[in-house]
Amino acid sequence: MNMAATAPRSSLIQLCYVRLAVSQPQSAAAFATEVLGLQAVPDKQALLLRSDNRYHTLCLDTTTATSSIGIEIADEAALDRMAAALKQEGFTAREATAEECARRFVRRALIVVDATGNEIDLVLRPAQSGRRYFPSRDAGITGLQSVGLRSRALKDDLRLWTAILGARVSDRAGDVTYLQFDHKHHRIALYPSSRTGLVYVSYGVESMDAIMQSNYFVQERQIKILHGPGRDPASGQIFLRFEGPEGYVFSYAYGLNDVEPNHHPRQFASQPSSLCEWGSECRDIPELQLPSGR
Amino acid sequence: MIELKDLCYARLGASDLDDAESFSIKSLGLQVAEHTAKSLYLRSDDRAHTLCYFEGDPADQTVGFEVEDEDKLTAAATTLDELGHAVHVGTATECSLRKVKAFIGFKDPTGNQIELAVRPERSGKRYVATRDAGITGFSHVGLYTTDPARDERFWTQVCNARVSDRIGDIALMRVNAIHHTVALAPGRGAGIHHINHQVGSNDDVLRSYCHLSGQRVPIVFGPGRHPTSGARFLYFQGPDGMVFEYSVGVDEIEDEETHRPRQFGFEPSSLCMWGAKSARPR
Repeated sequence: MNMAATAPRSSLIQLCYVRLAVSQPQSAAAFATEVLGLQAVPDKQALLLRSDNRYHTLCLDTTTATSSIGIEIADEAALDRMAAALKQEGFTAREATAEECARRFVRRALIVVDATGNEIDLVLRPAQSGRRYFPSRDAGITGLQSVGLRSRALKDDLRLWTAILGARVSDRAGDVTYLQFDHKHHRIALYPSSRTGLVYVSYGVESMDAIMQSNYFVQERQIKILHGPGRDPASGQIFLRFEGPEGYVFSYAYGLNDVEPNHHPRQFASQPSSLCEWGSECRDIPELQLPSGR
Repeated sequence: MIELKDLCYARLGASDLDDAESFSIKSLGLQVAEHTAKSLYLRSDDRAHTLCYFEGDPADQTVGFEVEDEDKLTAAATTLDELGHAVHVGTATECSLRKVKAFIGFKDPTGNQIELAVRPERSGKRYVATRDAGITGFSHVGLYTTDPARDERFWTQVCNARVSDRIGDIALMRVNAIHHTVALAPGRGAGIHHINHQVGSNDDVLRSYCHLSGQRVPIVFGPGRHPTSGARFLYFQGPDGMVFEYSVGVDEIEDEETHRPRQFGFEPSSLCMWGAKSARPR
């Protein structure tokens, strides 16, 4: 019997966008196109960027101090159930206004705050684009793939993601927790932290060649590589994490594993090799350093 | 025509045998097969040895190729002699130092010391690496050339090498299906440009990049990928300045009849399609 057919399907459909709070939008946009290689979307209201067939996956927002992510929910009924459960469990969640929905290019959004203080938009019907994605440089990007979130309250954040939203833990490395909600190893990773915000925004690329070409591309532009090139043993992905504008971290990744239907979450030791099996170490981001021997 | 079957061994003079041993074990990851008073024999695969360091001048560097049998060896000696290359026939002692049945030594037109050997020893014991570098075997050498066109003619017309691809006028040549066994590199004189060992996977190349960087071994080129052979590579420097390479994923030339050498421009992207730049002095 096919296990996948019997496993309850998650109501979380996809990670659909990241909204970054920026103060210097033009230089952030220049980075997004010239370095990251995303496609700028002409828009009067905001700086929007594409990474795949969706209308946008990155918004550079000057009107907020809080970055947020958008997750597509299957349908109205699922979103209503989530809204009720969030209220019951004491999480802050409010319906977005029509104007907020328009700025997110979605038909409805529930703006949730997790136990750490991160904003998560649960959205319905995010806009796709009829035009195919045309990158501004040959970085080989295939799409927005995952985000790392800082967590100051891992237990409660995990409760939000799993018990209320229906994501599953795929693996843990130390206390870093990978969350899956489709066939891929993870779309969200929670990193124990003392702060709120994003650890990184990760774009999938088409090959190891693309990762390594970007490794030299960013080095030549004096952009600081923060972690990698490396390979994450839990998800199998090869990654390169580097410094973006205003302290944000961007990542290219290739080879994110699919999760087998009967996968059981594994615990990787709290050691640097659990985040990179090649031996690259991250010196600048506390969330990406696993304390040894715990 | 001299029929080279495969690469056999490299012999390198060492200014300090202890340094050579330490590097071979802790960095390169080869297995010590035998340590005599004046020589260090190292294994990289099921052959009895593929690299030998001996106490001596680091400029004394030799590459050994296997030929079919003693008749072929005698014929090769005659060919080389007729072309005016001085041929040295290995003595019994020299043969035992090389763990071969018979060999001859000569110099290619640039002056590289080449040996042709018959019946190089294999080992019944399997190869066990000293560190997990993922080495699967000694695979090719780069040889300096003072005249690429002349040396290409020597290797392809006097010997049986075939050109797989060219970068500018530099030929990458094969003696079997593997994309290249001898790569020429422009230089001011004779010598080995690099010694290649194949590894099992991309992961091995990148693991070694982190491992060797941590040991402060000078990385001279890479991690990178050659657009010619398709191999992912890492070049790093060992004792007495010798450069070693790990690589994985070298193409095989499947159809000997229809393969046409491709011409790549003499530019950095022909050496690395990822954008790595060589830090080697030219």
